[in-house]
Amino acid sequence: MKQKIYIIFIIIFLIFFLKACIKRDVPEEEKIKQNVVRSETNFTFPSEQKNVTLNGVDYLQSQASIGKFGGELIESTIGEGPKTFNPFTSKDATSSSMSGLMFDSLFTTSPKDGQIVPKLAKSYKTKDGKTYIVNLRHGIKWSDGKPITADDVVFTWNEIILAGLGNTSTRDAVMIDGKLPKVEKIDDYTVKFSIIKPFSPFLRLMASQIAPKHIFEPITKQGAKAFDMFYSTNTPPEKFVTSGAFRLKEYKAAQRVVFERNPNYYIINTENKQLPYLNKLVYLIVGDLNNEILKFEGHEIDVISLRGSNVAPYKLKEANSDYKIYNLGPDTGTMFLAINLNTRKNSDGEYYVNPEKQFWFRDKNFRTAIDYALDRKNMVQNIANGLAKPLFTAESLNSIFLNKNIKGHERNLLKSKELLQKSGFRLNSNKNLYDKFGERVEFDLYTNAGNTEREAIGVMVKQDLEDLGMRVNYKPIEFNTLVNKMTTTFDWDMIIMGLTGSPLEPHDGKNVWHSDGSLHLFNQRTEISKIDNRLPFEKKLDEIFDSAALKTNFSERKKLYDEYQKIIYDEKPIIYLYSPIRIVALRKKFKNIYPSQLSGITYNIEEIYEDNN
Amino acid sequence: MQILFYISKRVLQTIPLLILVSMISFFIIRLSPVDPLAELKLNPSISKETLKLEQQRMGLDKPLPIQYLLWAKSFIKGDLGVTTTGEKVSVKLAERIPNTLLLTIVVIFLTWSVGVPLGVLAAVKWKTPFDRFLTVITSIGMAIPSFFFAILMLIFAVKSGWFPVGGLTSYNYDEMNFIQKFFDIAHHLFLPVTVLFTLSLAGLQRQMRANLLDVLDSDYVKFARAKGLSENKVIFKHALRNAVNPMITLLGFEFSSLLSGAALTEFVFQYPGLGRLILEAVLKSDINLVMASLMIGAIMLVLGNLIADILLILTDPRIRAKA
Repeated sequence: MKQKIYIIFIIIFLIFFLKACIKRDVPEEEKIKQNVVRSETNFTFPSEQKNVTLNGVDYLQSQASIGKFGGELIESTIGEGPKTFNPFTSKDATSSSMSGLMFDSLFTTSPKDGQIVPKLAKSYKTKDGKTYIVNLRHGIKWSDGKPITADDVVFTWNEIILAGLGNTSTRDAVMIDGKLPKVEKIDDYTVKFSIIKPFSPFLRLMASQIAPKHIFEPITKQGAKAFDMFYSTNTPPEKFVTSGAFRLKEYKAAQRVVFERNPNYYIINTENKQLPYLNKLVYLIVGDLNNEILKFEGHEIDVISLRGSNVAPYKLKEANSDYKIYNLGPDTGTMFLAINLNTRKNSDGEYYVNPEKQFWFRDKNFRTAIDYALDRKNMVQNIANGLAKPLFTAESLNSIFLNKNIKGHERNLLKSKELLQKSGFRLNSNKNLYDKFGERVEFDLYTNAGNTEREAIGVMVKQDLEDLGMRVNYKPIEFNTLVNKMTTTFDWDMIIMGLTGSPLEPHDGKNVWHSDGSLHLFNQRTEISKIDNRLPFEKKLDEIFDSAALKTNFSERKKLYDEYQKIIYDEKPIIYLYSPIRIVALRKKFKNIYPSQLSGITYNIEEIYEDNN
Repeated sequence: MQILFYISKRVLQTIPLLILVSMISFFIIRLSPVDPLAELKLNPSISKETLKLEQQRMGLDKPLPIQYLLWAKSFIKGDLGVTTTGEKVSVKLAERIPNTLLLTIVVIFLTWSVGVPLGVLAAVKWKTPFDRFLTVITSIGMAIPSFFFAILMLIFAVKSGWFPVGGLTSYNYDEMNFIQKFFDIAHHLFLPVTVLFTLSLAGLQRQMRANLLDVLDSDYVKFARAKGLSENKVIFKHALRNAVNPMITLLGFEFSSLLSGAALTEFVFQYPGLGRLILEAVLKSDINLVMASLMIGAIMLVLGNLIADILLILTDPRIRAKA
């Protein structure tokens, strides 16, 4: 009797328990996601910020609506937090964005169209694209009260950037034919930059952040080592002399970075009151995505980037919640499948890629067949949870240089098979693919293990290619090993990777596309074999990248970069797959939010205010 | 005098041990295919010159044995070197060690002050419902993996809203007065301490119970009882003192886990302690940081054992005679 009661209890318990496990079917989930992806937030950007002179001070006037002072915004940063607050030594995104809050750059990018607009500098003029005259603002000050003058700009360029201190990437980028630009002071508020020939990426590079000379000079004199340690995360906050909207208040390792408003900032609102509105800006340092989500749910942070499966549930709850979801459009990141076209030998006299494989990979029909066999829609649907767009171009979808004439194509197995047949590939009775020498088509496909997205793409690519009768040995390997293969040993066949690009400057991709670039993945040359036997299309790419940088007219450049994207699309050494879409949730209490494809969501941090009604 | 001789002998013995540990760890880390520059190499805007400079800065351009010798030389001098991002290792460790110590010391204090008495109680009340109840509870505690329990606790924190989601202090901690600060930290510590406490309590309580049961079964306890000594005297004066030896050894191990024992829980709770720092360092092959933490771990283990052995000598005359 007693036993029976026990059994009944257990059964009842199990029923309730299992009931909880049954997931309600949400037929709308797909629809919701599609709605989010399609939704374009409707608003008009406020007009550009204007230069206004009041009592002899050149302010920059925000044209956004007038807000309330006070309040705080809490964001998060994933990982270990900033490594340094020195904008000239930072090498990672977190450090750069945080030092970017404290040190303003001369110019910035318009969130609307990517054009260059003034920030710390008032304006610039150029006649021939070789000399730039930059006018600075009168009467604006560093946080310690010293004026910001041409001396600071000249010092920053000559003693820090061009001297090769800290992160040398700006210096590398402004080097034209081995010559560095000249930076001279004309008067206290005018600086002249001159370069040896017109070089269009220069303008964006010239916009660099500026350091206070009276603080940095003693350090630069002590040399590179001292400079690398300067303004590290251990520096007491009161030691920072800055120019940005916010200054450091507190840094707690692995916990948070707190910024407070700079009361003497040079951006004002239309009532001529000095911005920013927010009193505090806090970044919580969180270790991983899951923790970030928990913190958003627990109301500990105000903004979060939503990924994949999170979007639909958040959208469902949006109406009854205190946040709003914004679609920022396609990301700058791209996912691609690279094919190794290398025919060189290593130092032991062995081919990096087997000769029979070289024959396949060098065959344009083979590469095109692969492209047509890939089911991008399926990948977008099943891997990116519908939150991505198929991609066919080397420039990301939000790039201002995107070639919109490349429309792409659907999956077309018939066409693939035709192309393979044309090149003499045959299927045997078991539907296995053989080349015209009777060699079984079999190769390795690598990606980095641990990145679940790329791992899933690999599985799909493998399946898609096996529909053509190829045998794909799919091997996710450790990230560092993979990078070693790509940059040093070159012993790979195909790789699924992603790189981030710049939506504003295709020239940043030079290292990938120029035949002597350090990331010229699909036909990487070693230092010794600099530019040997270039493929015809590589030659054309070299020409495009060399000449487009020298053009300063946007439409002329656009034409050239359109051509480069067309070449990549036609030749397919790298096959682009898709571009993820960024979805962000932000608490509704924050106003003056103008999400931008180019700049993100909190780029206008000085204009954002908190309204609790 | 004898004990001083013993200690110095033991300390000398640890030197070759530490050298061996450092060599093995150094070469395993360096031979693993992790390239600290991988991220930079994949960044299209980083030039070859910059990469070369970075390689020189990290000393990656030198052969492995030289790298090891350079490391060992500066380690002996007390210089732990810099991380791959150029920060001082000693500073990074100093930022985190107090946080980890705070967590582990609270946990160890709680587990010992609760676990040992519970173990004694369970042994004395052997096979009573109370003992059985404790057995069930501790079995559950031993069976749950720490990271899983920690995640459950985090979900609890989010759903109930009673506790903060990980971390050590609130973002406005700096503006609090002393009492608020104390409660803020206590509030943040509650969940991770609960997890670690539940898990280590189980082991400790079982250990104490088993030891005492063993001793209670021995002839001299039976004799003491037969002699008519009160039960309290039998247990606390005779049995407990003999049952405590393994606990002292355990205390030595606890000492070594002061800095590294809570790594998993720290990671789940995003606790700003050593665990998170070291994990990321290993993933990035940040050699100086990893080596520093491994050496600290090894030294703490040796030291913990030494302390336990010395305590045993002091408490147990049998061992004293042998030593």
